[in-house]
Amino acid sequence: MKERMKKLCWILLFTLVVVNGFAVQRFPKPEFETAYLQPQTHQPPPRAELLAVTDVVVLFLALAVTTWLVLKRRSRMGVFFMSLASLAYFGFYRQGCVCSIGAIQNVTLALFDHSFFIPLTVIAFFILPLIFTLFFGRTFCAGVCPFGALQDLVAFRPVKLGSRLNAVLGMIPYVYLGLAVLYAATGTDFIICRYDPFVGIFRFGASFGMFIFTGTLLLSGIFIARPYCRFLCPYGVLLNRTSRFSRKHLTITPAACIQCRLCENSCPYDAIDIPVTGKNPMDKQRRMRNLIFIILLVPVLVGIGGWTGARLHETLAGVNPKVRLASLVMHPESYAGMAEPFEITAFRSAGKPVAQLYAEASSVLGQFYTGGWILGGFLGLVFGLVIAGRMLARYNPDYVPNKGNCFSCGRCVDYCPVKATTNPPS
Amino acid sequence: MLNRRDFIQTLVRGSILAGLTLLTGALVYRSRKGGCESGFACGSCPKSDGCNLAEAKAFRQTVWQLDPAKCIQCGRCATNCVMSPSAVKCFHVYAMCGYCDLCGGYFKPETKDLTTAAEHQLCPTNAIKRKFVEDPFFEYSIDKPLCIGCGKCVKGCGAFGNGSLQLQIDHHLCQNCNECSIARSCPSEAFSRVPAGKPYLLKSFGKELLPDKKTTSG
Amino acid sequence: MRKLEPTPRNIRLLRNTATVSGIFAMVLCVLILINFLQVKRADPLNTPALKMLVERLKSSPGDKQLQQEVRELDLVARKAFFTSQWQVRTGGYLLFFSLLLVIICLKSIEMMKPVIPEPPGKEDDFWNERMLNRKWVAYAGITLIVLSLVAAWLTHNELGNNLQAAASGGAISEEPATGAASPSGSSAVPADSTRADTTAKSDTAAASNPVDGFPTLKEIRANSASFRGFGGNGIDFHTNLPISWDGKSGKNILWKTEVPLPGYNSPIVWNDQVFLSGASDAKREVYSFDANSGKLKWRFTVDKIPGSPAASPKVNSETGQAAPTMATDGRRVYAIFANGDMVSLDMEGKKIWAKNLGLPVNHYGHSSSLIMYHDMVIIQYDQRNAPCVMALAGKSGEVVWKTARNVKISWASPILVNTGKRTELILVAEPSMKGYDPASGKELWSIDCIGGEVGPSAAFVGGIAFSVNEYSKLAAVELGENPRLLWEGTEYLSDIPSPLATEKYLFLLTSYGTAVCYDAKSGEKQWEKDFGNPTYASPMLADGKIYQMDKTGIMHIFKPDKVYASIAEPQLGEGSVCTPAFGDGRIYIRGNRNLYCVGR
Repeated sequence: MKERMKKLCWILLFTLVVVNGFAVQRFPKPEFETAYLQPQTHQPPPRAELLAVTDVVVLFLALAVTTWLVLKRRSRMGVFFMSLASLAYFGFYRQGCVCSIGAIQNVTLALFDHSFFIPLTVIAFFILPLIFTLFFGRTFCAGVCPFGALQDLVAFRPVKLGSRLNAVLGMIPYVYLGLAVLYAATGTDFIICRYDPFVGIFRFGASFGMFIFTGTLLLSGIFIARPYCRFLCPYGVLLNRTSRFSRKHLTITPAACIQCRLCENSCPYDAIDIPVTGKNPMDKQRRMRNLIFIILLVPVLVGIGGWTGARLHETLAGVNPKVRLASLVMHPESYAGMAEPFEITAFRSAGKPVAQLYAEASSVLGQFYTGGWILGGFLGLVFGLVIAGRMLARYNPDYVPNKGNCFSCGRCVDYCPVKATTNPPS
Repeated sequence: MLNRRDFIQTLVRGSILAGLTLLTGALVYRSRKGGCESGFACGSCPKSDGCNLAEAKAFRQTVWQLDPAKCIQCGRCATNCVMSPSAVKCFHVYAMCGYCDLCGGYFKPETKDLTTAAEHQLCPTNAIKRKFVEDPFFEYSIDKPLCIGCGKCVKGCGAFGNGSLQLQIDHHLCQNCNECSIARSCPSEAFSRVPAGKPYLLKSFGKELLPDKKTTSG
Repeated sequence: MRKLEPTPRNIRLLRNTATVSGIFAMVLCVLILINFLQVKRADPLNTPALKMLVERLKSSPGDKQLQQEVRELDLVARKAFFTSQWQVRTGGYLLFFSLLLVIICLKSIEMMKPVIPEPPGKEDDFWNERMLNRKWVAYAGITLIVLSLVAAWLTHNELGNNLQAAASGGAISEEPATGAASPSGSSAVPADSTRADTTAKSDTAAASNPVDGFPTLKEIRANSASFRGFGGNGIDFHTNLPISWDGKSGKNILWKTEVPLPGYNSPIVWNDQVFLSGASDAKREVYSFDANSGKLKWRFTVDKIPGSPAASPKVNSETGQAAPTMATDGRRVYAIFANGDMVSLDMEGKKIWAKNLGLPVNHYGHSSSLIMYHDMVIIQYDQRNAPCVMALAGKSGEVVWKTARNVKISWASPILVNTGKRTELILVAEPSMKGYDPASGKELWSIDCIGGEVGPSAAFVGGIAFSVNEYSKLAAVELGENPRLLWEGTEYLSDIPSPLATEKYLFLLTSYGTAVCYDAKSGEKQWEKDFGNPTYASPMLADGKIYQMDKTGIMHIFKPDKVYASIAEPQLGEGSVCTPAFGDGRIYIRGNRNLYCVGR
């Protein structure tokens, strides 16, 4: 019996053409004569559903508590410990997923791709911080975001970058946001997640490249406080713009500013606006002329940006898996002499018609063309508006946190000699 | 009394709030009523055979899983997961196994002596255990901690045997990243999000393999 | 928790702790990086050493010592893998905790120190700062715009157009890389050229570079790039062809040039060059003739090829040392000889590459002609030892793919056809006719329908492929996933001339000189005509006529029709066994000694 079975196996082995047939019953299930009990395939269950609800509850509570600590208690220490707690929960316990920053992509893709399922948890993670920011400033950044908490923790020797460098580097997040939305909307990739520098820390493992990137970011974070938040974070862009219209916001002083200028250097993030006093040296007529020039320039910038973006659409689409595959199929010489790429093997075994692939890739390219126009136009608009915004200023004699850039961490509060008990002079 | 600046601020705030509300509404609507007319949407299609919609509806979460029918065993699962070793493991569907003496998933091709000696084993980490059951049958089981998810045995079993060895994401290990880094590099688009209530796509001769109540309840 | 007093001693203690664990963390960092690199460089689970040992063990199964070595190495490799994993994990944790300690210490120091606001410095001038700020943003923005404009300027967006063209063209001819050379066999009638043209559009980009890439369908049709015309199907697209000439009187003979060395290969034509090869037992040469004057433009002696056998193989005198017809892609010409020497020359006769494919074990001599697919030259190498079909990269001669064939020796040539769904390479040899994917070499189908020493190549039209051989049978096979024998016949068979399939009919020449016409679909015999002379050349359909050269040099020109109708029978005045090639208004005929160009 054994010999026969063995022989049968051998015959099959040698006569069968080695094709990757999946799940073909070549050998019948044996009928056991002994009392052998067939084991069950063990399938460990995923994380319980209920815990996802817990995440949202924790997020809401964390936001509420941080807001309370920032606005009511005005306690830097409280915010600090709150951020540690968030770091522990969202960072090390939840391993950085789900996060509000990455949720931008899920939201985008859900809006563009109707078949993409977005869980309520992710919606909550995207919306809740924005709503809190709209009313109370960026308290999310101060005490809830684990990435912020981590960087806040290592900001030991912050240096002032100066408003110019801040302004220039501050444009990067817009580019990042634009690209992230473009790639998410086309279903290409979630680049925010892909280049997320901190999850590696939470998971005790990262690729070589990410390990270096994270290390550099954290080391530079000792001197440039919160480099990711200020010069990369795409969600920060949304929070920044929202926070400018917040109903309440952290104030340096609980009462009236006494112009002691003690808080001047307290902010590691360069988020305190210096007083706007004195007269604008530029005369009014010239100012108006410049402003009108800039405003007229904006549509031109949008046009240039859009055109450039559209021109670059194939470069941008190069990372799209469909486009890449179609290009590989179309140019077999690109891998001549090398082993056939797995993508080609898989494509062939899937048996999808080439024409269909080409048509799909072509439609993705079409999306990128439109997307390129929008992305370029958006960036042109941002650039124009940033310059235009720099033309205007409102008279303000005090040192105040910049409502857009301030993370509400509360450091400056400790520097202010005016305490809440002091009655404000009317 | 509102001054002009405060008025504008309130106005803008109101419109942002309205916008956010609209967005939330749209998203919630999408979440509840996605691409599926049955009212549930998930990354992979819920209409795929065996999808128990009544059950699927109860879940609002999705997890990553790979479809063994699409898998070409390229070996990237072993190297591209954020976890090390990978959260993708080989699962053995015993119900499909032929208990062959000469197992294409266990032995290197052209092996003559069917012994457990290292030179005959296909698995680079010795993660498949071979146990004698009765003449001429052998039971093969996966030592999960040793398995690196390279899929070599899966390829062997699929080519020569019944295909009872299949790659799957072990949800005990998977971090359920927002974007699965293996999915990103999977050449055959075998990865997709599936309802958390039906987290495995193991197949037994075309049919879905139902989870064992005893093992999953824990 | 007792509060730590902010004494200088405590602060010093904390600072020292921080420094020590900081250094520790740094060392760990370096170690982890080293581990990363190590694992990357030498993947312990896929060591070549282990693979080699196992390979060796396969050839000597009983070697106990080798077995022992494999086992030991396997153990070491696995141990190395799991140890390195353990190291990374443990290292990660250690790094984390040491950094945590640094942070705790430094934070404690920070918190112990009271907040001492720095005395305010010089007040910044807001407006001045604002202006500078604006300028910086403007400069940065302008730099970005200029850079992206330059990038945009340099980008060539051609993929989109290519894809679009391919997607729309692909609906008819679903061919990856959009068959520049996908010869549409099913549309192999000159009038029906629209199909080919739609596909030809998309590959103009590929053809833009004269050295890379490959010719468009149009270019291939305008020339005569390989044996038996476009795709090797016996169909030519030139018009205005002469029907009368006389070699003796020189009537309509534009020129006649003696070919230095003999060879039974047929001429190929590209633009104004005609190529031939010739060989004796001692010497092998490739010739280029000026198509207008007939002058020998250049000749190239094929020698000093590494691996080439010292003596030429013994061959039948009716096959010779240079039987296979050359092929060209308009960038290079390719020639192969009976000893397995393969050479690629540029259009000026300079060697691009040359190699020996291994002496073909073939008792009559290797005779299968070359054919081009895209930028690959395809060789049917059905010899006794390991018969195979392979594709070499035209540019480099590297093997792009090679597929073993389970067949006997054959003398037939490959043909390329478009089945409407894809381009297929069809080869015949005992015992079967097989279809291959010309891009990958993958065997697509196979049907056992032929036997013996196969000489005639296949023919194809409208989804039906034909194979024929003497002492075997004539078979019409309907292609598809499972090819099906449509009809067969045994009355008239050929052992040298290949059959020719037109839209409706199949024309067959026996080597003793009888022409037969069958209905392609039903197999019903329409007519037969004995030309009376032995015939080795294959029939060609060109300009709506069939040109059939017989061994004595008479060209039988007749209508491809239901009844036999002779058009003309001009004489070359010299025997010929080669299939003619065509140009615009011209016919190139290789006689036994001379190359003729016939035209008005």
